[in-house]
Amino acid sequence: MKPLFQAFGISVAALTISTAAAANTDTQARVLWHQDIAAGYQDLAEQARAFAEQTDSWCQEPAAGNRDSVDQLWLDSFRAWQAVRFVDFGPIETDNRAWQFQFWPDPKNLVARKARYLLTSDQAPTAGTIADSGVAVQGFPMAEYLLFDEQLNRTDRALPAERTCQVLALVAGHIADNSAQQLQDWQAFEDAYVANEQYRDTTIRAGMAALEILEERRMAQPMGLRGTGKRSVYTADAWRSGQSLAAIEATVRGLQEHFLPGLTLLLERSNQPELAGRIEQQFVEVLENFPEMRTPMAPLLANDEAFARLQGLYVDISQLTTLVNDQAAVTLGVVRGFNSSDGD
Amino acid sequence: MMRLNRRQLLKTGAACGLTATLSGCSLLPRRAGDMPEQYTGAVGLPDGSFGVSAIDRTGQPLWQSPIATRGHSGCNRPGGQEVLFFERRPGWHCYVFDSSTGARRRTIKADAGEHFVGHGVFSPDGRWLYATASRYEQGEGIITVYDASDNYRRADTFELKGIGPHQLTLHPDGDTLVIGLGGILTHPDYDRIKLNLDTMDPALILLNRRSGKIIGRFRPAHHQQSIRHVDVSAGGKIHVAYQYQGPLHETPPLLATLESGQLREYRFDNDTQTSLANYIASVIAHPENDLVAAASPVGGTAIVFDGNTGELLARAAITDCAGVQALAGGDFLISSGKGQLVRLGADNQPQELASLPVYWDHHLV
Repeated sequence: MKPLFQAFGISVAALTISTAAAANTDTQARVLWHQDIAAGYQDLAEQARAFAEQTDSWCQEPAAGNRDSVDQLWLDSFRAWQAVRFVDFGPIETDNRAWQFQFWPDPKNLVARKARYLLTSDQAPTAGTIADSGVAVQGFPMAEYLLFDEQLNRTDRALPAERTCQVLALVAGHIADNSAQQLQDWQAFEDAYVANEQYRDTTIRAGMAALEILEERRMAQPMGLRGTGKRSVYTADAWRSGQSLAAIEATVRGLQEHFLPGLTLLLERSNQPELAGRIEQQFVEVLENFPEMRTPMAPLLANDEAFARLQGLYVDISQLTTLVNDQAAVTLGVVRGFNSSDGD
Repeated sequence: MMRLNRRQLLKTGAACGLTATLSGCSLLPRRAGDMPEQYTGAVGLPDGSFGVSAIDRTGQPLWQSPIATRGHSGCNRPGGQEVLFFERRPGWHCYVFDSSTGARRRTIKADAGEHFVGHGVFSPDGRWLYATASRYEQGEGIITVYDASDNYRRADTFELKGIGPHQLTLHPDGDTLVIGLGGILTHPDYDRIKLNLDTMDPALILLNRRSGKIIGRFRPAHHQQSIRHVDVSAGGKIHVAYQYQGPLHETPPLLATLESGQLREYRFDNDTQTSLANYIASVIAHPENDLVAAASPVGGTAIVFDGNTGELLARAAITDCAGVQALAGGDFLISSGKGQLVRLGADNQPQELASLPVYWDHHLV
């Protein structure tokens, strides 16, 4: 049967790595990725717990507490989530956990619709209500709505109104529980992840998909470079809190900390240290846009002079995406295809 | 086997004056069955738009018609005048094209509260169109029936008593619809999120198209083996393909045959199982022999196996391959999201026949 398993390489990119050394490098990369991603989940679990606890404590005694610290802890935990958001395989798939953390995009504004129902229904919500209400209720966008939505904040239902506080505390608790569970499940996943070679390509594809989403959907779309051509902050994520760009920074920083080291190892061992260096440098270039760009996206969309700053960030991210998704991926024989990345 | 690199392929195409790039200016093999001279598929285009594209056996585009959103699969209406394509799930429209010109003759809108899921099949006389669909608020899988002789009037609805139907085909007995019920609950409000992976209940369903009665329901060994694609050999043997919803490192069987009232599942060697990546996009039983072909874009792998014994006969690495068609003479044509058309048969000598500037979506008809 030997000839049968000499796979026919249609694609020039389909390099067969079969030596023991390459297999060893792949295993080392997975060990490194597992450890780096675990650190990201650890941070998420800690930040989310702090957010839940602060919410509980402030809601119990709003007058004595500090609303700003609740907002800040939402942001800290949301940024911790952004840092590991690229991981789209493994335990995060359980119960649609990634969607629970962040239901997005939300073109039908389900978050607001579900919130209005929870804030006005006759029955007081419980943890069970949140668990049964679907992913639009269970994550950071719902907490963001309750904390930052301008319309809501002009009504008497604005925080710290009792019902709104109840819902926020339950959602924050749900996020914290999911974060703790995700950390635990990721640790339990270690043996399977390290032992199975298909997680090499899966991990690289996860980083590629995150960069593509970043470039296309989190930047090009709201900037009006795609689709209708109209600029609209509502197609970005985290627009209610004005944190769309801060979230982008957190995603890039997360990729740099939790994805890049494993990728660099593979590239260096594939005799591509120069490409690895260029990618590392491009991460630095993107991040040099911050902290100046930690600003709401809407004003930058509103006038052309400010828009140029956004374009600068967009170009830097595009270049990073090209380096990783085209050059590194081809070098490592990884393809995200039209059918393979979104099937049916 | 002559292998051409991209530059050689482009030179060959230029010499032949073709938009498509056919190796050695040859004709594509004639396909088996209806419409032997034409291949039609949903495509993505490099500018991000979508269409339906037909090519002839020289690889020349016969026509390309734009559609607003991504398409999935379709069916040729017996008689050769029309080819239909469905939008991918959640599909709100099905388009009826003139097979010769690509002119859009009609748009069939899904009824309120329903959406198509990408597949349809005609009765042998070309009158009745059967399409898989979902009544999405209730999460109920249905077969919608249209009368093509009466302007595609909605004529009937068959209940599947299950969630998430996908591909259907007609058994050679002319009466039995063979339906892959994926078991996965989705809702258009929630993008393409799979809402019930713990409780999904996939099945192969056999349904009499005249009475609408379910005459058989067969479940896979594991409840997360989502049955999505189906085909039937000329002799009536039913083949099904799964997409496994569990962890990637678990590699359960992905292909099965209905035998003695049970799904006999085929597990190949570990390498092959891994290379199929728990995802089969198409399965086709060859009408001229006992061979079956399947393609996995996720694994970038196409295989051919003996449909009677399950013995693996050929395996090729084809990036993003998804569509499969039977070719006259006994081989298969595999299409890819990279625009490639590759011949693969039991001899395990894959041959790239053409490379086109389109992303072939999942299915060729």
